[in-house]
Amino acid sequence: MLPGIALFTFFLWVPLLQSVRMSFYRTVNIELVEFVGLQNYISIFGRQEFQQALRNTFVYTGWSLLIGFLVPIFLALVIGETLRGRGFFRTAAYLPNILPGLAAMILFSRFFSAEPTGVINIIMSWIDRGPFTFLTETNMVIPIIVLVSTWRGAGATALIYMAGLAGINPELYEAATIDGAGIFRRIRHITIPAIFNLGSTLLILQIIAVFQIMYEPMVLTAGGPDNASLSLMLYMWNLAFSGVMDMGRASAVAVITALILLCFTALYSFVNKRRTEWE
Amino acid sequence: MNKTRTGIIRDYDASRLSVKIALVIVYILCGLIVLVAMFPIYWVIMAGFMNLREFMSSTNIHPEAFELARYTQTWRQLGIMRNYLNSLYLILGSVFFALVSNGLLAYGLSILKPKGWGIIHKLVMVSLLIPTTLALVPLFMSLTRFGLVGFFTPLWMAAGANAFYVVVFRQFFLSLPSSLIDAGRIDGCTQMGIFMRIVMPLSKPICVVITIFTVNGAWSDFLLPFLVLRGTPWQTVMVRLFEFSTQQTINHDDLMRAVVFSMIPPIILFFFFQKKLTENIVSVGIKG
Repeated sequence: MLPGIALFTFFLWVPLLQSVRMSFYRTVNIELVEFVGLQNYISIFGRQEFQQALRNTFVYTGWSLLIGFLVPIFLALVIGETLRGRGFFRTAAYLPNILPGLAAMILFSRFFSAEPTGVINIIMSWIDRGPFTFLTETNMVIPIIVLVSTWRGAGATALIYMAGLAGINPELYEAATIDGAGIFRRIRHITIPAIFNLGSTLLILQIIAVFQIMYEPMVLTAGGPDNASLSLMLYMWNLAFSGVMDMGRASAVAVITALILLCFTALYSFVNKRRTEWE
Repeated sequence: MNKTRTGIIRDYDASRLSVKIALVIVYILCGLIVLVAMFPIYWVIMAGFMNLREFMSSTNIHPEAFELARYTQTWRQLGIMRNYLNSLYLILGSVFFALVSNGLLAYGLSILKPKGWGIIHKLVMVSLLIPTTLALVPLFMSLTRFGLVGFFTPLWMAAGANAFYVVVFRQFFLSLPSSLIDAGRIDGCTQMGIFMRIVMPLSKPICVVITIFTVNGAWSDFLLPFLVLRGTPWQTVMVRLFEFSTQQTINHDDLMRAVVFSMIPPIILFFFFQKKLTENIVSVGIKG
């Protein structure tokens, strides 16, 4: 047990606490210089980049609720209806998930390239559209990044939903059919309620994951154009590791992000409790 | 084949015309899903066959000619072999630490339960919720202070502190019949002996799953590896790729080939363990 505890302490618990401590200090390189109280936080909140990153992170979350949450459910429903070839469809949908995220992002930076040689633009030119300037468009860049990370992650989430769907008691469907329920009413009254709990759990996990989005915009757009895709974690990385090494302010950003995440988690467990009580 | 439908459409629906049309649509959608999932991978392999001029100017998906020599040349020029070996070292050490450290911790939290185990368990559960990227900055600082930057050691050890693996191990250990462990104790096994001789052999299936996840994770991770290994001869494939992508020190056609090189091992791994992965993702409930 001890080696495990030691490693957890050194690699997770102490750094997390230190993160909080460091956010109150002025730092030079890797040394804590002096205690400055809330100075880091105040200066962070005053920076335009931070405000933008904060706003963007919520925009990321919003889009991922729209795209990232619904796509896996759709995949699970559609693939679940097939009889032949289901294993193949499942495998194909899951395949993107095992690719290294970094490699996938580099790939997609060419895919969505604004040049006529970008793959999407090539396809668009077949139907005489475009060329589009996807990743340099301020209000398109976040949805595209969310779309790309959904491409990677949806297959895995869909597998979890498929397991949930397979667990539905077939007698429910039969009973509903006898009562005259068509296919859409079966979806509405049996399928959706059955995966509702699973869905809300996965939803909160997804919010937590999206809130940490960092390397996707880093590789695809470097946070641009004009910081339009800068996320909180990416801003933290930039502060800490790209040139300036401003560890104190970077920690302040980390702490703020953690606090927001904790709020989400608390909200989730509150809602969950309310619902079980109510039921 | 005598399969029955397990979805929303049941066998007794399947004879109606409207349902038949719906099923056709379902299969078309599935075809589209496969296309969307596979096409980018297919494209990057094709793009790897292009030379720089072609890659920068061609508006075709397919290359003018399939010259495998372009791949082998990039492989040699960039010295990817070295990075492959480095990734392999990283993976081997990470798997060792992931199994032993997380396994032992979970063993303690599920079977030994020494005084104060509840607190440790709570802490592990909390770390499950807090993203590890938040620990990146202070972790890097303490690594630098202790002079641990520059070799695989911290990365190996970091694999031994994975809250998620602990939870998976613990859940599995709890499901083991306690009579077996009691029997070992009566026969005079030490605690360590019980772990090595009884618990671990029984846990082979879960160890395989953790190993697969660790291998894939160690192969794909690049943030901490970049901070620890940059500028050393120990750079892994992903660290190299990350440098290529951020510092633009590479031709675009070579970059695409490097992307393909970085995708090959996970794809091979996937086809070997496909079944295990897709089955276990459900019970384990995680995505990479």
